[in-house]
Amino acid sequence: MTARAEPGWWVVAGQELRDLWLGGRGPVLIFGFSVLLSAVTYLAATNQVLNFLEQREAVNLVVQVTVAVGVLLALLVCADAISGERERGTLENLLLTPVSRRAIVLGKLAAAQSLWLAAYLVSVPYVWVLGRGVSVVGRALMLGLLAGTPLALGLAALGLLTSAFSASNRISLAVSLFVLLALFAPTQLPTGPHGRFADVLLRLDPVASALRYVTALLVTGHSWPGELSYLLSPLLTVVLAGGALVTTANRIVNLNAGVSGR
Amino acid sequence: MTVEARGLTKRFGDRTAVDGVSFTAGPGEVLGLLGRNGAGKTTTLRLLTTILRPSGGDFSVAGVRNTRPTEIRRRIGVLPENASYPGMQTGAEFLRYHARLFGLPRATAEAVATRLLAEVGLADRGGTRIAGYSRGMRQRLGIARALVNEPAVVFMDEPTAGLDPAGQQQVLDLVRGIAARRGATVVLSTHALADVEQVCATVLILDAGRALASGPVGDVTGRGGGLAEAFLAITTEGAQ
Repeated sequence: MTARAEPGWWVVAGQELRDLWLGGRGPVLIFGFSVLLSAVTYLAATNQVLNFLEQREAVNLVVQVTVAVGVLLALLVCADAISGERERGTLENLLLTPVSRRAIVLGKLAAAQSLWLAAYLVSVPYVWVLGRGVSVVGRALMLGLLAGTPLALGLAALGLLTSAFSASNRISLAVSLFVLLALFAPTQLPTGPHGRFADVLLRLDPVASALRYVTALLVTGHSWPGELSYLLSPLLTVVLAGGALVTTANRIVNLNAGVSGR
Repeated sequence: MTVEARGLTKRFGDRTAVDGVSFTAGPGEVLGLLGRNGAGKTTTLRLLTTILRPSGGDFSVAGVRNTRPTEIRRRIGVLPENASYPGMQTGAEFLRYHARLFGLPRATAEAVATRLLAEVGLADRGGTRIAGYSRGMRQRLGIARALVNEPAVVFMDEPTAGLDPAGQQQVLDLVRGIAARRGATVVLSTHALADVEQVCATVLILDAGRALASGPVGDVTGRGGGLAEAFLAITTEGAQ
């Protein structure tokens, strides 16, 4: 029996995963994240003892930090994926293979998701430690996965689009970071939205919307189906950014930034 | 003919980098692409290797028209100018990866990588990270990478640039071997006229994107004493 050739995106994803995890970048990023999560968990646990933070709120805080940082890591790796290879001079060899540019970006997108999944797995013991006794561990982990996965996928696709269009890697990373911070900012406002317009804006923001979904179910105790509308904008981000990436990849992944470069 | 270009043109905005270039090359032939800086050599290679799309004209490589770029890429090997290599990968890992990108199954890719490393004299360094390779070793690795798919045509952009004389000789020997033993067409873009005299049967001289002269080296040098004199005479005439 002759061995079959593997799909191009699969081969690219495998090599990207090796470069990410065996090259040392992934372990360093996840180690940094685990240090941050340890500090957050310590502070949350201390505040519980002092009765400043209810136990569910402490679990919610850890889930929110996990989603935010996991998405950030996936986004930054993707923001470097095309523009970084261009600057390092390694993109041309990849473009000279028969693998389609669509398969190249899909492989890179798939590999970047491993950072989100690793961040999620690292958070499991922290959630377990903080959530014991109030029966929210399973629910919190499920919500984290439900809210974080579409966010990581959609924003990583956005990062790849930014990377393909950016004239330099620095621009790509700066734009991607700015977009994430802008989307994250509403979650840091001291009070919730006032009025219908503010509520619509919040629901359109995929990051704020996803994190609000987690809070609504974990802390406020709302029902699953009642708040599902909060997941619409994260899912819409996957469809729009992922769709744009897949349909334009063959035109925008070039040696020079933008469509005209080719 | 394995390479046929007809009126090949590439414009970047108002600037014309390649202007109606036509030429052919046959199996086992080493064609030297000569020209000053900015003459359009790299752009011509990038057009023929489907990295850039032509603004005008057409070409075929290994019998495949330029309207089917993926099929062309399956049949060519390329050593790009100033290509970098992922320093964290080993030479063997890099070749295996590229062989798999060309559709070879894992086991075959492994065998191809081992064979090519030996062919370019890197058999004992295949397990070393590329970051630890010298420039000459990287060039030889790049040549091995260009051969993973048994190409019908190999394009090389300044393969001897920045190498010491021994390194240059090793690369030129490999170029000769590719054409003689594999029967592949080699299109070699270079500034080094001595390299062309050593390995090329035919030349194409470009200036400001236009083809000024082409044909067997002997015919082109017939205008002057050696290739250097002929090159200078042709490009000076072209500039006027």
